[in-house]
Amino acid sequence: MADWNAFFKGDEDDEEPEDGEQSGGDYKITGRDSLVFLVDASKEMFIKGEDGEPSNFDMTMQVVRSVYTSKIISSYRDLIALVFYGTEQSKNPRNSFKHVYVYHDLDEPGAKRVQEVDALRGPKGAQLAAETMGSGETSLGDALWCCANLYSDIKLRLSHKRLMLFTCRDDPHGGDSVKNRQARTKAGDLKETGVVIDLMHLMKPEGFDVSLFFRDIISPPEDESELGLQLSPCEKLDDLQKRVRAKEQKKRAMARLSLCLGNDVKIAVGIFATAVQARRPGAIKLYRETNEQVRSKTRIFHTQTGSLLLPSEIKKAQVYGKKQIVLEKDEVDSLKKFGDPELYLIGFKPMEKLKVHHHIRPSVFIYPEEDEVKGSSCLFSALLKKCVEKNVFVLCRCIARRNYPPRFVALVPQEEQLDQGNVQVTPPGFNVIYLPYADDMRTLDTPQGPCASQTQVDKMKEIVTKLRFKYRSDAFENPVIQQHFRNLEALALDMPAPEETEDLIMPKMDQMDKRLGILADEFRMMVYPDNYNPDAKPAAKRKTDANSGGAEKKPKVEVPEDELRAHVNNGTLGKLTVPVLKEACKQFGVRTTGTKKQDLIDALLAKLGP
Amino acid sequence: MDVGFSMSNSAPGEEPPFELAKKVMQKFVQRQVFAETKDELALVLFGTDRTKNSLQQDDQYQHISVHRHLMMPDFDLLEEIANQIQPENQQADWLDALVVCMDLLQTETKGKKFERLIIAVLTDLCTPASSDNLDIIIGNLKKSGITLQFFLPFPVDEEDEESDSGDRGAPGHPGTGKGLSREQQQGLDTVKHIMLSLDEEDGLEEVYSFRNALEQLYMFKRIERKPMAWPCQLTIGSSLPIRIVGYKASTEEKLKKMWFTVDAQSNQKDDVKKETVYCLDDDNETEVQADDTIQGFRYGSDIVPFSKVDQDQMKYRHDGKCFAVLGFTKQNLVQRHQFMGNQVLKIFAPKDDEHAAVALSALIRALDQLNMAAIVRYAYNKSSNPQVGAAFPCIKQDYECLLYIQLPFTEDLRQFAFPSLENKKLTPSETQLSAMDSLIDSMMLVEEDENGEPKDMLKVHHIPNPAFQRHFQCLHHRAVSPGTPLPPMEAWLKAALERPEVINQRCQAPLNELKKKFPLTEVEKKKTKKTSAQIFGKESEETDAKKAKRDEDDEEYNLADIAEGSVTSVGSVDPARDFCTLIRQKTLPFVCQQLTHRIEQLLSNKNTHYYMKSITCIQAFREQSVKLGNAELYNSYLLSLKRSIPNRGLEVFWDLLVQDRVTLISRDEVEGSTISKQESNQFLVAEEKEEEMASPTAEDTGDMDDLLDMM
Repeated sequence: MADWNAFFKGDEDDEEPEDGEQSGGDYKITGRDSLVFLVDASKEMFIKGEDGEPSNFDMTMQVVRSVYTSKIISSYRDLIALVFYGTEQSKNPRNSFKHVYVYHDLDEPGAKRVQEVDALRGPKGAQLAAETMGSGETSLGDALWCCANLYSDIKLRLSHKRLMLFTCRDDPHGGDSVKNRQARTKAGDLKETGVVIDLMHLMKPEGFDVSLFFRDIISPPEDESELGLQLSPCEKLDDLQKRVRAKEQKKRAMARLSLCLGNDVKIAVGIFATAVQARRPGAIKLYRETNEQVRSKTRIFHTQTGSLLLPSEIKKAQVYGKKQIVLEKDEVDSLKKFGDPELYLIGFKPMEKLKVHHHIRPSVFIYPEEDEVKGSSCLFSALLKKCVEKNVFVLCRCIARRNYPPRFVALVPQEEQLDQGNVQVTPPGFNVIYLPYADDMRTLDTPQGPCASQTQVDKMKEIVTKLRFKYRSDAFENPVIQQHFRNLEALALDMPAPEETEDLIMPKMDQMDKRLGILADEFRMMVYPDNYNPDAKPAAKRKTDANSGGAEKKPKVEVPEDELRAHVNNGTLGKLTVPVLKEACKQFGVRTTGTKKQDLIDALLAKLGP
Repeated sequence: MDVGFSMSNSAPGEEPPFELAKKVMQKFVQRQVFAETKDELALVLFGTDRTKNSLQQDDQYQHISVHRHLMMPDFDLLEEIANQIQPENQQADWLDALVVCMDLLQTETKGKKFERLIIAVLTDLCTPASSDNLDIIIGNLKKSGITLQFFLPFPVDEEDEESDSGDRGAPGHPGTGKGLSREQQQGLDTVKHIMLSLDEEDGLEEVYSFRNALEQLYMFKRIERKPMAWPCQLTIGSSLPIRIVGYKASTEEKLKKMWFTVDAQSNQKDDVKKETVYCLDDDNETEVQADDTIQGFRYGSDIVPFSKVDQDQMKYRHDGKCFAVLGFTKQNLVQRHQFMGNQVLKIFAPKDDEHAAVALSALIRALDQLNMAAIVRYAYNKSSNPQVGAAFPCIKQDYECLLYIQLPFTEDLRQFAFPSLENKKLTPSETQLSAMDSLIDSMMLVEEDENGEPKDMLKVHHIPNPAFQRHFQCLHHRAVSPGTPLPPMEAWLKAALERPEVINQRCQAPLNELKKKFPLTEVEKKKTKKTSAQIFGKESEETDAKKAKRDEDDEEYNLADIAEGSVTSVGSVDPARDFCTLIRQKTLPFVCQQLTHRIEQLLSNKNTHYYMKSITCIQAFREQSVKLGNAELYNSYLLSLKRSIPNRGLEVFWDLLVQDRVTLISRDEVEGSTISKQESNQFLVAEEKEEEMASPTAEDTGDMDDLLDMM
């Protein structure tokens, strides 16, 4: 059935979806992203923390693993490598470097690699690391050189190159100036080829002094402020995870637009998607015999002559009021053109005018693009400051890209926030909230029942207070996607069964009940009468159940042919219900491709219509 | 509609009532046609020369004819209104016409269900109406629940009931200038009598003037969907269920209809067939039957075959429909910009369940008083994916409800860090800040009116979606006047998308001040991207050299070459060169066809070397087209090539094309090209985003609309 659909559906999916704006992520255009984890494997890394805290090495491996798995889900085409330095054993492409162990060279992460990283976690992992690699001398220069070779061995185009250095030693060479100089030179070389070097410095007892050595190794922070160096070393897994996460994803603008205030005052902003609904990735078609990937080719041809049709030989049409209206293909595109892409300032409104229920799609984020229009940041910053101060939002008309109809958006100011460790938790900029048009709002017939008394409300307040928690947006994993990838993992690795996933969005009934205690009963007593059964179906429903006797669930629904033809001729097929239409399709031997009402109607019209 | 002779009378320079009435009707039917409501419509004309109705007898009900019986409106009706309905020469009693309409509604609605029955009367009330049976008529109208609407050439004011109608020539209502005749006044009194006896208070609200009606009908109907109830239970822990009903309150509405492809010659859908075939990635492009393919998924670098049966067995399962509270949290922890999904649900208690209403009300008020929200697990049904979301309390004057909005999963979030704006170089100065300050003050869209009430000058949710308005405008135009170019955008629509005029004037001075205070300079774009030739180094050096050579002695293709007669078709060795040679002998279309055929062949090899060759061909194609001043063939080929990129998996090739800046031919280069310079440049850029859009495959989450469609 699915194939059948794929075959015919093409006819209708010509219209572009309009909601693509918020998608971000994988840009095939600019090449692959790459990330090298360069991890210190010296003895210091394996020292366990007090009261059973994991060692720095263990912590690093956990983070590396989570990056591997998240890359598999979100951007599998990125390349990742894992390299250890300060090892006893050496393993690298030409084995020209001592004490550098390339555990994984730059490649797409796969199931096997995840397993291999897993093997390095925990006490067993430390043991394995000691057996295979051991700890030995350190030469960061060699390690960096080796990494440079990894990059240059890649034949693919790399758009973004990043190297993350995990260590807890601020003076790796013990003051050896030759080695220090060599490392600095190599780091310089790497940076010159466009590699960004980040330091993920980990806690050590005397504190980590970045200025001692690493200041010259790492890339300067992008805003040139001293912020990057003031970061305190990571102590906790969470911190490290957060810091790696923030760096690991290359932020890319979905689009660059000008924000026009009027009278030619225009600044440039980049649009970023900060939350994009992750979906289960689409299936790939494979040839049954060999499991090799097949390509699909779509072609449009003339049914009578069988010749392929060029774009100029086809037109587009829609039917309204029983009339087929035909437009040229480029006319169809021009229908949506209202102007050039830009954000155009309409005015300002107080924040309270932004209603919670005016929501039609996820928001995006804008930040000035100084390298497009110089002076953008300054004006943007002034706008942001004043909007925050006056508690207003900016109303703009937004044409997100060419041939996109306009939408109105609210630019909501957001100030920068840092946590205790000086790590940015919220970036400065505006959140762009899409506002609904009249068509997007539905008129509801709002039922008005009796209201609760204050004592009932107070009881509910107790319940609410008992069940309060601190919501964090990153606390809930998507069980559907997690399950999908666990399944794939199991299949890829020939595991007997997929790893159990915990459904984090299941209510924790036991805990909740325990916390509530008798409160739930008390509230029920206050609002529900004794014989009240919330599971009971409303009376009307039951009656119909009784009538049909439950035996015949789907009564045959048929419409006499002449009546049906009358409907066809009057264009009133829409009045019939889906089951009736389906039956009618069967009756006339009409093959339908869809189950939607319109599909059925179209199919019938095609068969019986004039 | 009254088509009698008085309807075509008008004061000089004014449109006769007949024309206005016709316009009102046209607009109304148009809206119905495009809104595709299931409403049915009949048209009864009176004052006609003929008589055609089921009540006619002897001299009763004369000059009234049923033009169209009750059915869904379509373009035939629109055409008939436009072409067939003419002013005629008789007069008929409008009360008689009303009775004919009532009869028609009664007989033709038998066996069908309608929510509302409406009779709209368009007349100038110039004919005397015998009010003998008025009470019976009113009684019957009441009994059958028919709503009556009057459309008249002049406005009716409730207060003005007693005043003489002589000075009604208020601006904006021409047609009333000459005052009302005695018949009209009488008729008006009858109308008022009927309307007020049908609805004592607001009866006159259903009496419109033609002008008024036209103003209200100028835009196409907004999309209306019947709200679908979603009954469920809200649960708090295992022992506290509350029965609820959810409705979609706002969602991004799309046009239901899609474009389908027709043959350009015959305009027939059936003449065009689209076919998708699968083939192996080998030299022969061996085709594979769809039945011989199975599904696989990517796990990083691995592709894992995963049959549908296995998928079904192993996929995430849940218990179906659900609205379960996970806990409660402070409202400010749920940030607006993290709202996901594209809808908001309003959650009420079921109509017939008072106890549930009280329980839900307690929850809503408790949350409101504590400033908290519920975090819930929401699943629409068993086959849709569960979500996590927030339910906010919402207390309005006449109702209370919860607002449910989806929130992100961990996988959805991208945590980006941005450089701080608190940077010495970027920090705005005091004068800059104060310039911004006065701009904001001058552009506040919400102001207090005379009564101190805040007034919002621009409510976005009152504007109809301009895309739909434009879409219908153009479709309508094409349907009624085929063969003519599409009309420009309507003025009101353009205006609706602009700043309110008062704001626009007020902000001029502060804007100019701002312009002075903030120096802005556009940065010249340095194209640092490497071209494909540079990337592929040696491999393409050769082509590069060739190209250079060709550029040098462009006149190399001289008579000698032609005389040699060696080149007869675009070969595969050096197609670009062959093309350049041939173009001197044969017509452009002919050679182009050969070239594009060759390019397609090269591209199907999916190999960088062949890509380079193709690009050389396209560059030559472009060059020659510019030279010959014929942009059309080249542009249309490139456009179609671009469209086919995703289907054929030619992204890599496209990248190269982008880097080499192989653009469309713009008007600046060839006169008569339909492409502007900007569009030509955009051509490459736009793709970047379309790519992006295409990537996520829509997953059917199964939602209220789907159900609705099945109804």
